[in-house]
Amino acid sequence: MEKTELIKKINSAMAEEFEVEESVFAPEADIKSALELDSLSLVDLVALVESNFGIKIKGTDIALVKTFGSLYDFIYERIEK
Amino acid sequence: MPILKGEDILKIIPQRAPVVMVDTLYDVSDDSADTALTIAPDNIFCRDGVLTESGIIEHTAQSAALFSGYGYYLKGENPHLGFIGEIKHFDIFCLPRCGETLNTHLTVLASAMGISLVTVIVLSESGEVAKGQMKIFIKE
Repeated sequence: MEKTELIKKINSAMAEEFEVEESVFAPEADIKSALELDSLSLVDLVALVESNFGIKIKGTDIALVKTFGSLYDFIYERIEK
Repeated sequence: MPILKGEDILKIIPQRAPVVMVDTLYDVSDDSADTALTIAPDNIFCRDGVLTESGIIEHTAQSAALFSGYGYYLKGENPHLGFIGEIKHFDIFCLPRCGETLNTHLTVLASAMGISLVTVIVLSESGEVAKGQMKIFIKE
Protein backbone atom coordinates (compact mmCIF):
# COMPACT_ATOMS: atom_id res chain seq x y z
CA MET A 1 0.00 0.00 0.00
CA GLU A 2 1.28 3.46 -0.91
CA LYS A 3 1.91 5.70 2.06
CA THR A 4 -0.55 8.38 0.89
CA GLU A 5 -3.24 5.74 0.56
CA LEU A 6 -2.37 4.41 4.01
CA ILE A 7 -2.61 7.90 5.55
CA LYS A 8 -6.03 8.36 3.97
CA LYS A 9 -7.20 5.07 5.44
CA ILE A 10 -5.82 5.90 8.91
CA ASN A 11 -7.41 9.35 8.89
CA SER A 12 -10.76 7.99 7.80
CA ALA A 13 -10.74 5.34 10.55
CA MET A 14 -9.71 7.87 13.23
CA ALA A 15 -12.33 10.42 12.13
CA GLU A 16 -15.05 7.81 12.47
CA GLU A 17 -13.84 6.32 15.78
CA PHE A 18 -13.12 9.61 17.56
CA GLU A 19 -15.78 11.70 15.80
CA VAL A 20 -13.45 14.48 14.70
CA GLU A 21 -12.90 16.27 11.39
CA GLU A 22 -10.00 14.97 9.31
CA SER A 23 -8.69 18.54 9.15
CA VAL A 24 -7.18 18.13 12.64
CA PHE A 25 -4.86 15.38 11.40
CA ALA A 26 -1.84 17.55 10.52
CA PRO A 27 1.33 15.44 10.56
CA GLU A 28 2.95 17.63 13.21
CA ALA A 29 -0.17 17.84 15.42
CA ASP A 30 -0.15 16.17 18.82
CA ILE A 31 -2.37 13.08 18.73
CA LYS A 32 -3.49 13.14 22.34
CA SER A 33 -4.58 16.78 22.15
CA ALA A 34 -6.26 16.53 18.76
CA LEU A 35 -8.20 13.38 19.63
CA GLU A 36 -8.62 14.34 23.29
CA LEU A 37 -7.13 11.02 24.33
CA ASP A 38 -6.71 10.15 28.00
CA SER A 39 -5.18 7.04 29.52
CA LEU A 40 -8.47 5.17 29.02
CA SER A 41 -9.06 6.11 25.40
CA LEU A 42 -5.48 5.42 24.28
CA VAL A 43 -6.44 1.76 24.08
CA ASP A 44 -9.12 2.71 21.51
CA LEU A 45 -6.37 3.98 19.22
CA VAL A 46 -4.43 0.74 19.69
CA ALA A 47 -7.56 -1.30 18.89
CA LEU A 48 -8.24 0.82 15.80
CA VAL A 49 -4.73 0.33 14.44
CA GLU A 50 -4.64 -3.38 15.22
CA SER A 51 -8.05 -4.14 13.72
CA ASN A 52 -7.63 -2.00 10.59
CA PHE A 53 -4.04 -2.84 9.75
CA GLY A 54 -3.54 -6.29 11.25
CA ILE A 55 -0.52 -5.38 13.32
CA LYS A 56 0.09 -6.06 16.99
CA ILE A 57 1.16 -3.12 19.11
CA LYS A 58 2.75 -3.14 22.53
CA GLY A 59 1.16 -0.57 24.83
CA THR A 60 4.54 0.91 25.59
CA ASP A 61 5.22 1.44 21.87
CA ILE A 62 2.10 3.49 21.25
CA ALA A 63 3.05 5.76 24.16
CA LEU A 64 6.10 6.84 22.12
CA VAL A 65 3.96 7.90 19.17
CA LYS A 66 3.33 11.59 19.77
CA THR A 67 2.21 13.11 16.46
CA PHE A 68 0.09 11.98 13.54
CA GLY A 69 3.21 11.94 11.40
CA SER A 70 4.91 9.51 13.76
CA LEU A 71 1.75 7.39 13.84
CA TYR A 72 1.72 7.17 10.04
CA ASP A 73 5.40 6.15 10.08
CA PHE A 74 4.82 3.68 12.90
CA ILE A 75 2.08 1.87 10.97
CA TYR A 76 3.79 2.13 7.59
CA GLU A 77 7.01 0.56 8.89
CA ARG A 78 5.18 -2.35 10.43
CA ILE A 79 2.97 -2.98 7.41
CA GLU A 80 6.00 -2.96 5.16
CA LYS A 81 7.59 -5.70 7.28
CA MET B 1 -14.66 -29.79 31.57
CA PRO B 2 -14.00 -26.67 33.67
CA ILE B 3 -10.51 -25.47 34.48
CA LEU B 4 -11.76 -24.03 37.78
CA LYS B 5 -15.10 -23.82 39.52
CA GLY B 6 -16.79 -23.04 42.82
CA GLU B 7 -14.53 -22.22 45.76
CA ASP B 8 -11.40 -22.41 43.58
CA ILE B 9 -12.59 -19.31 41.71
CA LEU B 10 -12.14 -17.32 44.94
CA LYS B 11 -8.39 -17.91 44.72
CA ILE B 12 -8.41 -15.73 41.62
CA ILE B 13 -11.00 -12.98 42.03
CA PRO B 14 -11.06 -10.58 44.97
CA GLN B 15 -14.87 -10.50 45.29
CA ARG B 16 -16.54 -12.43 48.09
CA ALA B 17 -20.10 -13.53 48.86
CA PRO B 18 -22.67 -12.22 48.30
CA VAL B 19 -21.23 -10.45 45.25
CA VAL B 20 -19.43 -13.34 43.56
CA MET B 21 -20.86 -13.24 40.03
CA VAL B 22 -18.80 -15.89 38.23
CA ASP B 23 -18.48 -19.51 39.27
CA THR B 24 -16.75 -21.38 36.46
CA LEU B 25 -13.76 -20.92 34.19
CA TYR B 26 -14.05 -23.23 31.20
CA ASP B 27 -11.26 -22.11 28.96
CA VAL B 28 -8.56 -19.48 28.86
CA SER B 29 -5.93 -18.40 26.34
CA ASP B 30 -3.64 -15.39 25.93
CA ASP B 31 -6.49 -13.22 24.70
CA SER B 32 -9.77 -14.96 25.47
CA ALA B 33 -11.71 -16.83 28.12
CA ASP B 34 -14.98 -18.67 28.61
CA THR B 35 -16.73 -18.31 31.96
CA ALA B 36 -20.10 -19.14 33.48
CA LEU B 37 -22.46 -18.31 36.31
CA THR B 38 -25.49 -20.26 37.45
CA ILE B 39 -27.88 -17.67 38.83
CA ALA B 40 -28.93 -18.70 42.33
CA PRO B 41 -32.44 -17.65 43.41
CA ASP B 42 -30.95 -15.63 46.29
CA ASN B 43 -28.46 -13.77 44.09
CA ILE B 44 -28.44 -10.16 45.32
CA PHE B 45 -28.70 -8.87 41.75
CA CYS B 46 -31.99 -10.72 41.14
CA ARG B 47 -35.31 -8.91 41.25
CA ASP B 48 -38.69 -10.52 40.58
CA GLY B 49 -37.08 -13.75 39.46
CA VAL B 50 -34.69 -12.29 36.87
CA LEU B 51 -31.10 -11.10 36.92
CA THR B 52 -30.99 -7.31 36.63
CA GLU B 53 -28.87 -5.30 34.19
CA SER B 54 -26.35 -4.42 36.91
CA GLY B 55 -25.93 -8.12 37.69
CA ILE B 56 -25.21 -8.90 34.04
CA ILE B 57 -22.60 -6.15 33.86
CA GLU B 58 -21.05 -7.26 37.15
CA HIS B 59 -20.85 -10.81 35.80
CA THR B 60 -18.99 -9.63 32.70
CA ALA B 61 -16.63 -7.49 34.80
CA GLN B 62 -15.85 -10.41 37.11
CA SER B 63 -15.34 -12.64 34.09
CA ALA B 64 -12.70 -10.16 32.93
CA ALA B 65 -11.19 -10.17 36.44
CA LEU B 66 -11.11 -13.96 36.36
CA PHE B 67 -9.38 -13.92 33.00
CA SER B 68 -6.75 -11.44 34.18
CA GLY B 69 -6.38 -13.09 37.56
CA TYR B 70 -5.74 -16.52 36.13
CA GLY B 71 -2.35 -15.37 34.88
CA TYR B 72 -1.41 -14.14 38.37
CA TYR B 73 -2.77 -17.39 39.85
CA LEU B 74 -0.48 -19.44 37.63
CA LYS B 75 2.43 -17.33 38.89
CA GLY B 76 1.40 -18.00 42.49
CA GLU B 77 0.34 -14.41 43.19
CA ASN B 78 -2.71 -13.16 45.09
CA PRO B 79 -5.68 -11.78 43.13
CA HIS B 80 -5.39 -8.16 41.98
CA LEU B 81 -8.16 -5.61 42.13
CA GLY B 82 -9.76 -4.80 38.80
CA PHE B 83 -11.84 -1.79 37.86
CA ILE B 84 -14.25 -1.09 35.02
CA GLY B 85 -12.87 2.00 33.32
CA GLU B 86 -15.61 2.34 30.73
CA ILE B 87 -18.51 0.42 29.28
CA LYS B 88 -19.21 1.07 25.59
CA HIS B 89 -21.45 -0.33 22.90
CA PHE B 90 -23.08 -2.54 25.55
CA ASP B 91 -26.45 -4.04 24.64
CA ILE B 92 -28.63 -6.13 26.95
CA PHE B 93 -31.18 -8.15 25.01
CA CYS B 94 -33.00 -9.98 27.80
CA LEU B 95 -32.91 -10.54 31.54
CA PRO B 96 -32.21 -14.21 32.30
CA ARG B 97 -34.31 -16.02 34.88
CA CYS B 98 -32.94 -17.23 38.18
CA GLY B 99 -31.72 -20.81 37.81
CA GLU B 100 -30.39 -20.21 34.30
CA THR B 101 -26.68 -20.35 33.52
CA LEU B 102 -24.83 -17.48 31.91
CA ASN B 103 -22.10 -18.58 29.48
CA THR B 104 -19.75 -15.79 28.60
CA HIS B 105 -17.05 -15.49 25.97
CA LEU B 106 -14.54 -12.71 26.49
CA THR B 107 -11.91 -11.54 24.00
CA VAL B 108 -9.21 -8.94 24.53
CA LEU B 109 -9.27 -6.58 21.55
CA ALA B 110 -6.29 -4.45 22.60
CA SER B 111 -4.23 -3.45 25.60
CA ALA B 112 -2.25 -0.31 26.35
CA MET B 113 -0.78 1.26 29.47
CA GLY B 114 -2.44 -1.24 31.81
CA ILE B 115 -5.90 -0.84 30.25
CA SER B 116 -7.51 -3.69 28.32
CA LEU B 117 -10.36 -3.27 25.87
CA VAL B 118 -12.42 -6.45 25.99
CA THR B 119 -15.47 -7.59 24.12
CA VAL B 120 -17.98 -9.89 25.84
CA ILE B 121 -20.84 -12.03 24.62
CA VAL B 122 -23.22 -13.47 27.21
CA LEU B 123 -25.57 -16.34 26.42
CA SER B 124 -28.06 -18.28 28.54
CA GLU B 125 -30.94 -20.69 28.06
CA SER B 126 -32.99 -17.59 27.16
CA GLY B 127 -30.69 -16.88 24.20
CA GLU B 128 -28.32 -13.99 23.68
CA VAL B 129 -28.32 -11.98 26.90
CA ALA B 130 -25.81 -9.24 26.23
CA LYS B 131 -22.80 -8.15 24.23
CA GLY B 132 -20.54 -5.18 24.43
CA GLN B 133 -17.16 -3.76 25.18
CA MET B 134 -15.53 -2.77 28.45
CA LYS B 135 -12.26 -1.20 29.44
CA ILE B 136 -10.73 -2.96 32.40
CA PHE B 137 -7.92 -1.67 34.56
CA ILE B 138 -6.09 -4.16 36.78
CA LYS B 139 -4.26 -2.66 39.74
CA GLU B 140 -0.71 -4.04 39.91
